[in-house]
Amino acid sequence: MLIKTINAILTVLAGVGAALVLYWVLNKLVELLPGKWEDRVKPYFYIAPAFAAIALYLIYPAIQTVVYSFANADSTAWVGLKNYSALLGSHSFRQTLFNTVLWIVVVPAATIILGLAIAVLADRLKPGSEKLAKTTIFLPMAISAVGAGTIWRFIYATNPPNEPQLGLQNAIVTGLGHDPVNWLQLNTLHFNSFELMVILLWAQVGFAMVLLSAAIKGVPTETLEAARIDGASELQIFGRVIVPQIWGTVITVFITVTIGVMKIFDIVYVMTNGNFNTNVVGVEFFNQLFTNFNNGYAAAIVVMLMLAVLPIMIYQVRHFRADEAVR
Amino acid sequence: MRGPILFKTVTVLGAAALLTSGCISSGSNGASGGGGGGNGNTSKNVEIMLGFSGAQLDDFKAEVDPYAKSQGITIKWSPTDNFNQLINTRVQGNNLPDIAMFPQPGILKDLASKGKLAPLDSVLDMSTLKSSMTSGTLEAGSLNGKLYGLLVSMNVKSLVYYPKKAFDSAGYKAPTSIPELLTLTNKIKADGKTPWCMGIESGPATGWPATDWFEDLIMKYGGIGQYNDWISHKIKFDSPLVKKAANTFQQIAFTPGNVSGGRKSISSNNFGTAGNPMFKSPPGCFLFKQGNFVAAKGFFPDSVIADIDNQVGVFGFPPASASGDNPVLGGGDLAGLFSKDNKAAQTILKYMSTSTFGAGDAKKGGYISPHKDFDLNNYPTETIKSIAKVAYGATAFGFDGSDAMPGAVGSGSFWKDMTAWISGQMSLDQALKDIDDSWPATS
Repeated sequence: MLIKTINAILTVLAGVGAALVLYWVLNKLVELLPGKWEDRVKPYFYIAPAFAAIALYLIYPAIQTVVYSFANADSTAWVGLKNYSALLGSHSFRQTLFNTVLWIVVVPAATIILGLAIAVLADRLKPGSEKLAKTTIFLPMAISAVGAGTIWRFIYATNPPNEPQLGLQNAIVTGLGHDPVNWLQLNTLHFNSFELMVILLWAQVGFAMVLLSAAIKGVPTETLEAARIDGASELQIFGRVIVPQIWGTVITVFITVTIGVMKIFDIVYVMTNGNFNTNVVGVEFFNQLFTNFNNGYAAAIVVMLMLAVLPIMIYQVRHFRADEAVR
Repeated sequence: MRGPILFKTVTVLGAAALLTSGCISSGSNGASGGGGGGNGNTSKNVEIMLGFSGAQLDDFKAEVDPYAKSQGITIKWSPTDNFNQLINTRVQGNNLPDIAMFPQPGILKDLASKGKLAPLDSVLDMSTLKSSMTSGTLEAGSLNGKLYGLLVSMNVKSLVYYPKKAFDSAGYKAPTSIPELLTLTNKIKADGKTPWCMGIESGPATGWPATDWFEDLIMKYGGIGQYNDWISHKIKFDSPLVKKAANTFQQIAFTPGNVSGGRKSISSNNFGTAGNPMFKSPPGCFLFKQGNFVAAKGFFPDSVIADIDNQVGVFGFPPASASGDNPVLGGGDLAGLFSKDNKAAQTILKYMSTSTFGAGDAKKGGYISPHKDFDLNNYPTETIKSIAKVAYGATAFGFDGSDAMPGAVGSGSFWKDMTAWISGQMSLDQALKDIDDSWPATS
């Protein structure tokens, strides 16, 4: 234990020290250049280490992944587009894609609507109650997805009829005299996928609420008062005065949640592992790579995911720039 | 001007180098393995790598360490949660343990065929072993007629539990063949009771208990030869043998009234606790198939475990016909020898191969010996005795098939498609075809 602690301290010291030394040496090297060039080149020298690290740890693996997506299961031979055609041709993978799309369509929008509603309503409470309400709603944020899954297992759990029901929902259902429902296997209209989404909403609405609430509090009261004097109703004030002023925050939260949802893995893995037609892209990727050891399929799935996330990222960067320009 | 800067640079760089190289190894990867592999090794240190830990390891250690000490041998235990991956890594890095306890024969045979393991025929007393070991257990660790892995501890999966008092007082008898098992199922149902408890839910691993059902049925119907052909995909899933097994399973599990909670509840019912309604009064079901592990704390209710011999009855999953072959499904740890010239390692292996090895461990209730002449009185309960007798009476011993299949099937499609079939989301034909399709192409 002691040795490990000492090693950890040494590693941190050495890491920070090495970084300092690196920049110091780079600085000295640039200073050797003649005056005008020093200024021109210096920024590049300062940005180089970070850029090199990103290139090594992000760009290189990303390119390698694209390359592997055209190779076979153990990355020993080229198979062209076969990984993509086989995946897109299989019924179960198309279902997986459909489920993922469902998540993307439902969860970010629902997070914004719920988060906004709670933020607006909590804003009208007395300070004490507001704090209490917000803290309670924010609390699930502190629970890991696997922990959330365990909690929700107790809500969806199903035991055979005439056994005591451990699950909350089935306890209510059987208490009302009905047979227990096998919640996680209800696939009509993808109902079980929605049950899993509820878990993510439960965990994430607090995050949206905090950011949106801060934005709402930042709306200048003069604008609200001006609207009231002009005779606007509360709904009109919300829709035409508040929302436009917090739109930037709404977009940021929306995009953050969307990207998170596209990569959703843990909740589905813990609750069903993609069984009962609840599979999503993240779980399928994990199973292809770590259960099936199929590098080709796994890489192809990730590349598709990357292509899907790209436009959203570009939009976010543009939106961010536009925002900056306004300020 | 430049001098001092250079001096500073060197000093700082030097300090950084000192810092980084100053890290000390806490010694997790000791030196004992390196020399393994076989050349003249007279070391008295033996490294044993194994795939289990916790109380199971402590009990096993207590069995081996005193003997090793008496022989002047020091044992270094290297337990790992991830045996299969780690052993391959260590073989690739030529950082071999002296002895490894393989949880299943696939990798053992793979390493044996690559010449990494030493044959045990000259180390152990083979003629004694042939008469004392449970039938089929030596074959399970053999390749090309030579023994590479000796089964040291055993677990049994071909078991059906029943609530003893209610079962006996209703006049039911343990079946001796699969048709009799089906008759018994119908009889219990005709008496207005529920015959079976069944559950295959196991979190992300949901479905594996269904694969045990299939393995058992395929082994009983096809014999150990066809069973092994099925594991290596020489017999496909979409084949008459597998369909025969599926039909029997379907008859037991899907017939309305046969399973507590019905077909739909099987895939949401936890494998470990699904059998517990057996012990209610009146029993919620009369039959429950699961491995020997379930007759322990954490699975059966504590009150049942405390009074296990009066509450729990167990019989072996019956053979296809009463007088025919009766292979048994199970598992265990196979000891393989990496350093063939290490006398100390050989001594330890010899000790593990005796029929008296494990007596102390068995008394604690956590160990079943693969030796038929092991003293049954070492087992603390009648239940464990009956379980051991099921294995000792086998005509052959089959290791868990899904463990031995490629991961894409054995812990992928086989689990998932069985779950989809049982929960009614896939037809049997679809499921079997899908599993066949998921079998990785051999390159």
